[in-house]
Amino acid sequence: MTNEEIGERIAGYLHGELLDGERDLRIEPETPLLEWGVLNSMNTMRLLNFIREDLGVTVPPAMIAGRHFRNLAAISDLVSSLSAAES
Amino acid sequence: MRLHQYVIDAAAASPGAVAVVGPDGVLTYGLLDLLADRYAAALRSRGVGVGDRVLIWSGKSVHAVAVMQAALRIGAVYVPVSSANPVARVARVARDCAAAVAVLDSGQDGRGSALEERCGVPAVAADELLDLARPGSRPGPHRGEPDDPAYILYTSGSTGDPKGVCLSHRNATAFVRWAGDLLGVGPDDRLANHAPFNFDLSVFDLYAAFRAGASVHLITAELSYAPAELVRFLAERDISVWYSVPSVLLLMMRFGGLLDTEAPPALRACVFAGEPFPIGQLQVLRKAWSGVRLLNWYGPTETNVCTWYEVTEADLARTEPLPIGRPACGDAVRLEPVGDAAGAEAEIVVEGPTVMLGYWGRPPRQGPYRTGDLGRSGPGGVLEYAGRRDQMVKVRGNRIELGEIEAAISTLPSVADVAVVAYGAELETGLRAVVVPVPGARVTLREVKRHCAERLPPYMVVDELRVAAALPLTANGKKDRAALAAGADGAIGGHRAAPAVMDRPERPAGSDPEGPP
Repeated sequence: MTNEEIGERIAGYLHGELLDGERDLRIEPETPLLEWGVLNSMNTMRLLNFIREDLGVTVPPAMIAGRHFRNLAAISDLVSSLSAAES
Repeated sequence: MRLHQYVIDAAAASPGAVAVVGPDGVLTYGLLDLLADRYAAALRSRGVGVGDRVLIWSGKSVHAVAVMQAALRIGAVYVPVSSANPVARVARVARDCAAAVAVLDSGQDGRGSALEERCGVPAVAADELLDLARPGSRPGPHRGEPDDPAYILYTSGSTGDPKGVCLSHRNATAFVRWAGDLLGVGPDDRLANHAPFNFDLSVFDLYAAFRAGASVHLITAELSYAPAELVRFLAERDISVWYSVPSVLLLMMRFGGLLDTEAPPALRACVFAGEPFPIGQLQVLRKAWSGVRLLNWYGPTETNVCTWYEVTEADLARTEPLPIGRPACGDAVRLEPVGDAAGAEAEIVVEGPTVMLGYWGRPPRQGPYRTGDLGRSGPGGVLEYAGRRDQMVKVRGNRIELGEIEAAISTLPSVADVAVVAYGAELETGLRAVVVPVPGARVTLREVKRHCAERLPPYMVVDELRVAAALPLTANGKKDRAALAAGADGAIGGHRAAPAVMDRPERPAGSDPEGPP
C-alpha cells in the first residue's frame, strides 16, 4: 500500500466508524485529531485495532504516543513505515 | 502520620529497593528520597511555602511523583492535572487554587508560557526546576498537622468550573492504611498505576506501594486504553496488585486477550472502582481467575473508598449487580431518605476519617458528606448502588458533570441552547450534544468537538451532535433529560429515530420556523 492508500483507508475508517458518517467533519491530512477531540483514548484503541486487523500492522507500545497520532498524515507515515519494516 | 513519611521510612529501611518505574526511568527508594529533597529545595528557592499550591501538569513520570513528594515535604499542597488537559482548563484550575507555581513535564516548550499568559501563574519545566537546587540538597521535612491539606483533586463541576476536592494527610493515610492492610501489601508486591494522578484511584497505587516499600509501575496515558499492550504489561512487569476502572478490564478481556491464557502468575489481587462491573463479565473473569482476589471498591473523590465488597464463589450465581458492600477505612456510611414519600429513594451519606476537608475556595465541610449517589440495603445488610440524584454521569469510569460540557458548548456564538446526555452502556457509552442554534446559524460536529477539546479533558468531548429547534422541558421548566436520553437510546444500533422535538439533524433552526415547540 502507498502512503496515500493507507491515508484513505484510515480516513474512511475514522469517518465511518468514529464519526458516525458525520457529513460536516472532513478529515484532512493536517486536521489535528487529538486537539479537535476526534481521537480520544477509546477511539485511539479502536483505530489501533483497525490498523492491526484490517491493515495488518501492529503498532508497538513505544510508538503509541501523541506525536504519531496528532493527525492523519502522522498516522499514515507511522503505518507505512511499520508496514515497510515488516515486509 | 504524614503522607510523605512513607517514602522517607522506606528509603531508610531499604534504599536499594525499587520504588517507582515510569517511562522516564526507574527510581529506588534511596533515589526517590534524594530527588524529592532536591525538588523540595528547588520549590523553596522559588518561594513556595507552607500551604501553597503546587500545580503539577504532567503525564505519568517518576519525576512527577518526586515533585508530589517534594511539595508534601515542604508543607505545600500538590494539585495534579493530567497532561491530556487543554491549557484553558488547566488555567481555570490554576486560577481557582491560586497556585504558587505550575510544574510541567520537561521538553514541553510553549505550554508553560501559554499557561502563564492565561492565568499569570508562573510555570516551570521539571528539569529547569531541578537545576535550581544542588544535588544532595536536603531541606528537612516540614512538620505539619494531620489535618493539613495534602493534595487537591479537581473533578468536573456542574456549573462549568472544575471543583477542587481538598484532602488532608489524615484523609489519605486513613485510606492507605486500610487498603494496604486489607490486601496485605508487602515489599515484594508490584502495583500497577493505571489511573491518572488526578484520579483518586492513583492514591492507592502510589501510597500503598510506598507504605509497604513495594514498587509501583506507571502506565502512560497513551497505553492506558491499549488493551493488548496492557495485557502484556501485566505479565511482563509481574504485577501482583491491579487497580482500575472496570472498563479497562472489560477492554482487556474483549480486545486484549486477557483471558486467552492462564491468569498472570504474579497477580494476586484485582481491584476495581468508579463504575459498576457488568455482572456477566465479572463472572467470566472470576471463573478464569479463581486464584485472584477480586474486590469492588466504592466512593466518590470526596470520600475516597468508603465501602468495599469482595467477590466470592457465591457471586457466580448472582443475577443482579455486585453490591458496593460494607463501610471501609473506619467511615460510617448510612442511607438517608430523599424526600418524604414512603418507599422513597435513599442517598448514601458518609462520615469519617477519609471524608474531604471541603472544596477549595469554599467553606470547609460541615458534618457528613452527601454523595448524591442513591443506595439501598441488600441481603445481609450489604449496600447496593442505585444510581444518581443529579446530572453526574460516568463514562468508562470518568466522572462527568453534564453541566460542565453544556457550559463549554454554550460559549459557541452559534449556540442558543444546549443539553448534553450520555447514551449507550458500558464500553459503548458516548456523549451527545443536542444543540439549538441561534437563528440563521449553523452548528457542526467539527466545531463542537474542537470547542470542547480546547476547554475540557478528552473524555468530556462529545461524540455526537443533534440539532434541534428547541429542547424538551419538564413541567417545572428544566431540560427534560429523561426525554433526551430516551431519544439517545433510541438512536443506538443505526436507528436514528429520536423524539420529534429533536429530530432535525443538520438543519439550521432558522430555516424551519414551523419547527416543533
